[in-house]
Amino acid sequence: MERGYPEYMLESIEFVKKTRERRLKEIPELMTLEEREEILRQYHPDYKEDGKRIVKVGANAGEFMPHEVADLIEAYPLIEPEQIDLSTIDYDSDILIIGAGGAGLTAALWAVSSGADINRILMVTKLRMGDSNSKMSQGGIQAADCEDDNPTLHYLDVLGGGHFTNDPDLVKWLVREAPMIIKWHEELGIMYDKDEEGCMFVAPGGGTCRKRMHSCKDYTGMEIVRVLMDEALNLDIPTLEFTSAVELLMDDAGKVAGAVLWDMEKEDYFIVRAKATLMATGGFGRLHVQEFATTNHYGATADGLVMANRVGARIIDMDSVQYHPTGSSYPEQIVGLLCTEKLRGRGAQPVNKYGEEFVYPLEPRDVESAAFIRECAKGNGLVTPTGMPGVWLDTPLIDILHGEGTIEKEFSAMFLKYARFDIDMTKDPIFVYPTLHFQNGGIVINKRTGVVGVEGLFASGETTGGVHGKNRLMGNSILDYCVYGRRMGIYATEYVKNATVGKLSLDHVTKYVDLLEEAGIPKERKAPILLPEYRGERTISHALPLLG
Amino acid sequence: MEEEAEKEKMVKVYIMGREFEVPATLNIVKAFEYAGYRFVRGIGCRGGYCGACATVYRFKDDYRLNFALACQKAVENNMYLTILPFMPAEKAIYDLNNLKPRGSVLLELYPEIARCVACNTCTKACPQELEVMDYVQAAIRGDIEEVSNLSFDCIQCGLCAMRCPAEIVPYNVGQLARRLYGKYIAPQAMHTHKRVEEIHACVFDEELDNYSLLAKEDVEKLKKIYVEREIKVG
Amino acid sequence: MKIPYFPGCSLKTIGEGFEKSAIASAAVLDIELNELPRWVCCGTVSSLTTDDLMHHLAPVRNLIRVQDLEETQLVTLCSVCYSTLKRSNTLVKNDPEKLKTMNQFMYRESDYQCNVKVLHFLELLREIGFDKIKEKIKKPLRGLTLSPYYGCLLVRPKEFGIDDPETPTILQALTKALGADVIDNPYQLKCCGSYHTVDKPNLVADLGYKILTYARNSGADALVLSCPLCAFNLDNRQREIKRQYPDFVEIPILYFTQLMALAFDLDEERLGFDIHYVDPVPLLKEKQLLIDSLPLIKEK
Ligand SMILES: Cc1cc2nc3c(=O)[nH]c(=O)nc-3n(C[C@H](O)[C@H](O)[C@H](O)COP(=O)(O)OP(=O)(O)OC[C@H]3O[C@@H](n4cnc5c(N)ncnc54)[C@H](O)[C@@H]3O)c2cc1C
Ligand code: SF4
Ligand code: SF4
Repeated sequence: MERGYPEYMLESIEFVKKTRERRLKEIPELMTLEEREEILRQYHPDYKEDGKRIVKVGANAGEFMPHEVADLIEAYPLIEPEQIDLSTIDYDSDILIIGAGGAGLTAALWAVSSGADINRILMVTKLRMGDSNSKMSQGGIQAADCEDDNPTLHYLDVLGGGHFTNDPDLVKWLVREAPMIIKWHEELGIMYDKDEEGCMFVAPGGGTCRKRMHSCKDYTGMEIVRVLMDEALNLDIPTLEFTSAVELLMDDAGKVAGAVLWDMEKEDYFIVRAKATLMATGGFGRLHVQEFATTNHYGATADGLVMANRVGARIIDMDSVQYHPTGSSYPEQIVGLLCTEKLRGRGAQPVNKYGEEFVYPLEPRDVESAAFIRECAKGNGLVTPTGMPGVWLDTPLIDILHGEGTIEKEFSAMFLKYARFDIDMTKDPIFVYPTLHFQNGGIVINKRTGVVGVEGLFASGETTGGVHGKNRLMGNSILDYCVYGRRMGIYATEYVKNATVGKLSLDHVTKYVDLLEEAGIPKERKAPILLPEYRGERTISHALPLLG
Repeated sequence: MEEEAEKEKMVKVYIMGREFEVPATLNIVKAFEYAGYRFVRGIGCRGGYCGACATVYRFKDDYRLNFALACQKAVENNMYLTILPFMPAEKAIYDLNNLKPRGSVLLELYPEIARCVACNTCTKACPQELEVMDYVQAAIRGDIEEVSNLSFDCIQCGLCAMRCPAEIVPYNVGQLARRLYGKYIAPQAMHTHKRVEEIHACVFDEELDNYSLLAKEDVEKLKKIYVEREIKVG
Repeated sequence: MKIPYFPGCSLKTIGEGFEKSAIASAAVLDIELNELPRWVCCGTVSSLTTDDLMHHLAPVRNLIRVQDLEETQLVTLCSVCYSTLKRSNTLVKNDPEKLKTMNQFMYRESDYQCNVKVLHFLELLREIGFDKIKEKIKKPLRGLTLSPYYGCLLVRPKEFGIDDPETPTILQALTKALGADVIDNPYQLKCCGSYHTVDKPNLVADLGYKILTYARNSGADALVLSCPLCAFNLDNRQREIKRQYPDFVEIPILYFTQLMALAFDLDEERLGFDIHYVDPVPLLKEKQLLIDSLPLIKEK
């Protein structure tokens, strides 16, 4: 294999190789809580004063949010209420699920097994079924199911990782139901990594006190989601692909009562009336907060936050954003894509351009990211030919520690990703920099996934806040969509048994528009944005809707 | 200066027949976008995990057809590019609970696999570099474990199915095999079962409730417990 | 002697006892049957295209894999695999143009040089000599009367057959060498119905009725054969035969390798009787060929 790095990067790799032997023994110490606070304050993007502002309207008026999120909250709807004909209902359902990622699929399956009428479920999703952040997760899912571990230790880790800002009750159900989720997955036929006795292979993660990460090689999310999809297809759960929710509907009693959907291809809308509406729209990586590259899928544009906020749902902890320390920073074609934390869990170390280690490899993500940013700010990083900063992640250590072939076996996705660009990560380190990864905060829910303060609306997964507080630990968000996706399916099914829907209305949207106008928000700003815009400037500035 | 030069490098590509100049540092997806296209279909995770952007390409003056995930393939000079947004495929409908992990199940639910002529065209098409033919062959002879292992990295992109002269849909066969393997053949995680029983017996609830209470009423105390917890990850 | 061995799909599913008993008895004769590390179906599929070369890709691919092991022989057990592999081998040997086209098509594989010989296990045994086999017998199959059955592909077409296409004797010779008696069955070359078992089970039952009833009426205790597909049609389809012909009396079906294993007194678990439809165990016990038999799990 050729070595896919330019000359000056190869020179730096020589330093990395020289220190490898020594670094096998000397690993930097964990930071104290005080040191962590200090580095976060100085280097973490969340603490940058000019990165956020106070939002003027909506349920969160008066609170700080990153500009990119504030721009969505302070934005006009895509549709004008008077254009929409609410008198014809296109789909009349009990349960409308918005988003077919992990949370949506899990909710659908549990709704069915809790007795919901399959034909009165409707799942809609922006891209194809399953195309989502959930498909992309690599490293694993946490669950305290091993002998020397237990849910109370897991509980402490989740809270500690979230700097004690989490909703303590949500965390309780998260850790308590984790082992049941693993068992359910086993029954569905998900192939977790195990030994011949059936003992789960578990790895440590940043901020965990036990090895608790369950994996399916480094395709954990893909393995889980493709099985959930297979099950949803077997059950024939009614699903509309390439269809986005653009606005929630309410009824005359003030309950959420369905949604206005938009067909992304035919570009027409339809009306869904539903007794319960389940928000499973995932995260916001494609907002590129502070211009960071992202690990997220193409549809991660925070639509759920926007829609829920307009019906009065509060969102929390949006001032904290999770940057994953190890996003690919070279080659350019894969910039921003994730290099799983499990690499560090198995022994890979971050080192600077001189081959020196500068941080304990498994600090919580925010701390680890801040340390990378600091190292580059000090001038100890490198810059790629396309201007991307970064440091090395010394992956060959994994094979040295666990035997040749370990990387190819346990990290086949990652290995292939780099091999496609002539980089052999078993021999050379990979070049990384923090990347926008996860939406820590989101819609406020209760333990039954009901959106607080809004009747008829449920939410789970990455679009919600509280479970992880201001920082999520690896492996807890797959767990989050499993535990709370399941709960959402069960409790929504229970709810619809006695629920009724009144006359449909978009008055809440009209009112929201009034507020926006009062606050003097510029008219061009619209949300939800549905898909990010990456076309060249020329095309955008010259585009004309001539065909209407 | 050298870095500057690298940045400027442009290549010529043909998008559905039309010629464009795009930076050499782009992948196929980004090249389309650079040229002014906006994707709705034929795109998904942009990270090599969902298979939505699987595509074919050729080079000018070369008969060979190449296969890639558009989001994972760098553009090169004289590439002929396209988007393949959809591939119809049949999937068998089953209730896993009613299946037995017998080798013959795969043939019963997907009888067309017996039509495989071992031409290996599927393998050549796979952007995940899987031995697709070998797992179809293992399916014919009912070796569920082998199918599961060989097909594990499959992202269900559909390229193999598109190319198969026997009209087989390998990835659906792999999916069924893996579920059978995971459910019936792989050893069960007894420690997980045991923990679930303990949880049902409310073994941890008192302590969890206690922690929740501390989190609300005496965070400092909880922080102390957190810091002092024993770390065993070696 | 070590020799590459091609099992084929049927042996891995319906012909388990055939494979196990073959490997074990071969070992007694100092032959190590080494399964090819990678192999594909022999190629016995219905034609998919008018270009009949497509048909020969699978067998030739297997032969290339033997060549890549730097071996020159390939042994099969299944008559269908034998015939398919041998036919393709002959085709490409005799037609360099076709060989070239196929080599080009498989551009990732090494070119096939046509220096692999395809053998049926029975041929190998004949080469060793039935007398040599006799020497290894611990328990002659005395008192057992068998009706040899060839079906089509073992001996036809003539160019690829292992014995005389009209009056083959190889199974008779082996069976006798093992100490059993044989009867003549005029239906020994009649087709078993082959793949019609999928779409026309009634037709297969008709054929089976003739073959098996003749054997029964001539005093045979069981049928002996060399092909898992024939075995499936003549054993499992006895269920349909009984349905269509109420007078029909069941008769066990045995592979020649199972007889060898019995005569060599090998472990019962090498015999794979548990997946037979008509259980041969009572017969073999009656003839004192199986004595302290383990309880067998039956799955019908
Ligand atoms: C690269 C990567 C690696 C990760 N690795 C891990 C890991 O190892 N462990 C871990 O625990 N977590 C990991 N995570 C995080 C975790 O995968 C996600 O947080 C989680 O999957 C979110 O699930 P979800 O169902 O809430 O959202 P998603 O899975 O993103 O699903 C949201 C769905 O909603 C659809 N949608 C969005 N808006 C609309 C709309 N308006 N109308 C209709 N549909 C819409 C989307 O298209 C999508 O299908 C990772 C995330 C990424 C991106
Ligand atoms: S096996 Fe087929 S569907 Fe799966 S990744 Fe390879 S080409 Fe795509
Ligand atoms: S392309 Fe089809 S026929 Fe050819 S080897 Fe693959 S599965 Fe078999």
